Amino acid sequence: MTAPLIAVRGLTKSFATLRALDAFDCDVARGEKLVVIGQSGSGKSTLIRCLNGLVRPDAGTIHFNGVALDTHSERDWRRLRLRIGMVFQDYSLFPHLTVRENISLAPLRAGLCTRSEADATAIRLLERVRLPEKIDAYPVALSGGQQQRVAIARALAMRPVVMLFDEPTSALDPEMIKEVLDLMVDLARDGMTMVVVTHEMGFARKVADRVMFMEGGRLVEEGPPAQLFGAPREARTRAFLAKIL
Amino acid sequence: MTLIADNLRFMIDGLAFTLRLAFATLACAAVVSLTVGLMSVARASVLRLLALGYVEFWRNIPLLVNLLFVYFGAPLIGITLSPFAASLVSLSLWGGANGAEIVRGGIKSVSAHQMASATALGLKRWEIYRFVILPQALLPILPPMTGLFASLIQATSLASLVGVTEFFRIGQIVVERTTMQEGESPAFLVYGFVLVVYFLICSCLSHLSRVLERRLAARGTRVVVSSRGLGESV
Repeated sequence: MTAPLIAVRGLTKSFATLRALDAFDCDVARGEKLVVIGQSGSGKSTLIRCLNGLVRPDAGTIHFNGVALDTHSERDWRRLRLRIGMVFQDYSLFPHLTVRENISLAPLRAGLCTRSEADATAIRLLERVRLPEKIDAYPVALSGGQQQRVAIARALAMRPVVMLFDEPTSALDPEMIKEVLDLMVDLARDGMTMVVVTHEMGFARKVADRVMFMEGGRLVEEGPPAQLFGAPREARTRAFLAKIL
Repeated sequence: MTLIADNLRFMIDGLAFTLRLAFATLACAAVVSLTVGLMSVARASVLRLLALGYVEFWRNIPLLVNLLFVYFGAPLIGITLSPFAASLVSLSLWGGANGAEIVRGGIKSVSAHQMASATALGLKRWEIYRFVILPQALLPILPPMTGLFASLIQATSLASLVGVTEFFRIGQIVVERTTMQEGESPAFLVYGFVLVVYFLICSCLSHLSRVLERRLAARGTRVVVSSRGLGESV
């Protein structure tokens, strides 16, 4: 049995009086596509942000590739972030930089490649996300869906081993959601390990190896999409699915 | 008007002094503003408290008192300051305190999402400030900072009170001398001239600032997310 890529044990996080994560355990295997669903306030965003240290857990351990992470060490987190890519709900492209510069900034600063290599990578990734002509445009000239695809390309430029997605399509106008989801399906097919927080159940059904339903900072139920959507065991899962499906 | 022409050489010397003091002050104030501004958003609370203390002290006293305090206080701690140096120091410290708040405001106005996405890419904190936050903070900082700079340029006239023969002081001398020699006071003419020159200098500054603002805005340093807005999820 190979060790999971990410192993989380007892992860706990509170914000003032709100228990966002409650002794949470989770494994992510290499190549696995894990989709996390739940209401807002269920802790799913907190969970995904704990995985790359944007939120520091109050308690619990995180193992990456079998190696324990010192959750208090900014250095450890930074090194981990070079292996974990994240895509946000609001895409957050750097508006003062061109698409090319957005994509190459982090790899260049991390010393991962030379400038010409970074350029070549940007071109290649933009072709992958089907936006090669936008390479010298500023984000303000792109639609939301285009910006999100560039954000994905920017994260991929770091050659991550895992990609985290925090509601990547929730802020997009409906007609742009498909182009981003198609790209994510593509990534999944290429073997990327993915943890996706989303409300897009169609995507979950198509791509997920496992779906986790969270509530109150805890795991309520998990299983392959066919089972979780088709025959949920828990009443709370059924109630949630009834609301959104 | 011939009065101005006759004293022109004299007045230009004063103007040169003013411009030297002004440029030096703006440069020093800018450095202080940036330094203290960054300190005020630092992670270490010691730095934040130092910045806060500095800003509160220099901002809440009148600039004139500040200047006299520095000029007469320096010898008491064993430093001799020329009138020019004393003016430079007090104006820079005061300007830096106000400027630091402007810098802090500009930094805070950059969306927290920018910090999050830059952090997620593995950039170091100083790199995030240097390449992501500060370039975006520049646009909101520019208008109030220009106003501060204009105030500092005008405030150099206070240096006359500690003996710097800058432009305003020269004007004053011309008025006094002419009044004694000719019996008539050319105060309105001379001070009017001084006013016009200050106005021209500060106008150039604000024009430059607007040009820079337009350039930055065209690059789109502000991105508006789609009208659907963001659902904050936990």
